[in-house]
Amino acid sequence: MKEITRAAIAILLISGILLYVVNVLEKSSTTSGGGTISVYNWGEYIDPELIDQFEKETNISVVYETFDSNESMMTKIEQGGTTYDVAMPSEYAIEKMKNNDLLHPIDHSLVPNLTNIDPYFLDLPFDPGNEYSIPYFWGTVGIAFNPTLLEGQTFESWDDLWNPSLEQEVILVDSAREIIGLGLNSLGYSLNSTNVDELREATDKLKTMGPNVKAIIGDEIVELMRREEAAVAVTWSGQAADMMWINEDIDYSVPKEGSNLWFDNMIIPKTAGNIEGAHAFINFMLDPEVAAQNADYVGYSTPNEKAVTLMDPEVTEDERFYPPVELRERLEVYENLGLEMLGTYNELFLEFKMDMDN
Amino acid sequence: MAKLSKLAKIYLALVFAILYAPIFYLIFYSFNSGGTMSSFEGFTLEHYGAVFNDTRLLIILMNTVIIALLSSLFSTAIGVLGAIGIVFLRNRQTRNAVLSLNTILIVSPDVIIGASFLILFTMIGIKLGFASVLISHIAFSIPIVVIMVLPKLQEMSTSLIDAATDLGASKRDILTRVIIPYIKPGIFAGFFLALTYSLDDFAVTFFVTGNGFSTLSIEIYSMARAGITLTINALSALIFVVTLGLVLGYYFFTQRTGQSPGTRGAKL
Repeated sequence: MKEITRAAIAILLISGILLYVVNVLEKSSTTSGGGTISVYNWGEYIDPELIDQFEKETNISVVYETFDSNESMMTKIEQGGTTYDVAMPSEYAIEKMKNNDLLHPIDHSLVPNLTNIDPYFLDLPFDPGNEYSIPYFWGTVGIAFNPTLLEGQTFESWDDLWNPSLEQEVILVDSAREIIGLGLNSLGYSLNSTNVDELREATDKLKTMGPNVKAIIGDEIVELMRREEAAVAVTWSGQAADMMWINEDIDYSVPKEGSNLWFDNMIIPKTAGNIEGAHAFINFMLDPEVAAQNADYVGYSTPNEKAVTLMDPEVTEDERFYPPVELRERLEVYENLGLEMLGTYNELFLEFKMDMDN
Repeated sequence: MAKLSKLAKIYLALVFAILYAPIFYLIFYSFNSGGTMSSFEGFTLEHYGAVFNDTRLLIILMNTVIIALLSSLFSTAIGVLGAIGIVFLRNRQTRNAVLSLNTILIVSPDVIIGASFLILFTMIGIKLGFASVLISHIAFSIPIVVIMVLPKLQEMSTSLIDAATDLGASKRDILTRVIIPYIKPGIFAGFFLALTYSLDDFAVTFFVTGNGFSTLSIEIYSMARAGITLTINALSALIFVVTLGLVLGYYFFTQRTGQSPGTRGAKL
């Protein structure tokens, strides 16, 4: 009994000391006076130095948390229990949250730095007039490939993925709209097609890619490409940038038929507690120098026009990640097709995946 | 016990090699100056420096440890009392029913438990954060402690208690001087199992964290989206070394006190 009591006291003591240390650390890393805001962002999607800088400049302390998918983020915001003041969902999630009445309108007079954003990225179909969302990062869907493993083949067109020489070389990202979308694009149809015949045609065409498909997976793609265990991957530009950061042989191309243009935007949830602080944070992230530093750190493309001029031209002149206007015109933003249509996309994608198993 | 045959030894070595290989692989690359796990370029300690410079990560690490220690302490206390209560239930049917209820909690999926806690907490208005995580960790650890303590209680002969009563022991004396010393190995085993459950729980914690409070499993999961950085390797290596130290410490502790009757045959 004595031993157990001693052990219990020791555990309580250790926990007490640790709690004290955590308190001291939290105090030293935050400043008091301007209140607190909670920021809910994707993992590894901000330069941590910028949070410190924001805290010093505004005296608002930041509670920073991360999520891994739009869906889990939406659930947490919808369920309540925690109040987040700023979050960074993707465009289709913003539309969904808007429809579910989860968003707080953004007061444009509190975000004067909005003028730094390239008008091309404003007033998009998922949020007309940027009433609820402010651009954070953007990118494309395309083909990452390793020329050293491919004897110089290039990927100007989606059809190149069907090249018989690529047997068991192509990895596809496990996401219905991206893959059905590439099928639609390769046939010259819109990514937002709701025409069942077109969708059927796209799926049938995808099935003929079967012998070339090595795997249909998620974030593991980056690691496989880095290690040169795969030569070609259909993926997002940000993932491609991650691969290229490590393996310089890898190249990325957005096929000429067109592709998807995606956005992650900053929003203020309806449940936010510190609306003023949230606006201050959004405005801070739109500052050209801040945005440039952040884009440098994260590796995705910034929609901030002024920031682009501050960045290393070698990066911003890279047409693979900052496509010129004429290429952008061929890119499409996903529209919210409604639950039923999304179900059709998922079903067709499942059918395609099941066909792969045979 | 008969000595292991050569084949059995080789088999055992192979199993351990497979189990430990990923951990050593990960630790090996935590010293890599190259920045990725694809090729080893040179020895460096910079990733360990990065762990100690990242205040946020350190806070999360300490939160994880605090939650693990406190939740396993409380759940052990509650679980031990629960197990004693179950053993002394007179009615066989009630006893079996309570035991089954306990087992259901162990086998039900973490996701379900996590989602239920989230709904409960938001319904009764508890703010998500330290308290909600602690409460749910205590809750899912209790059944485990009960299961660990029960066999020791069942193997204890009732004549021990009868003898104590005959010698004039009060109920309190019986509990603190007879029962608890006898089941001590089970209590420690339950505590350590609860500790490991709490340390690596993802599913339940995922639902009930909030307000800037996060544990390591949640943090590493979101970080991994952008590829595992070697900082995580360094952190994992540190945790592995500390765990190893604790287990060795426990081993020596039980070896030293192994002579006393209460801990004879202590198993973990």
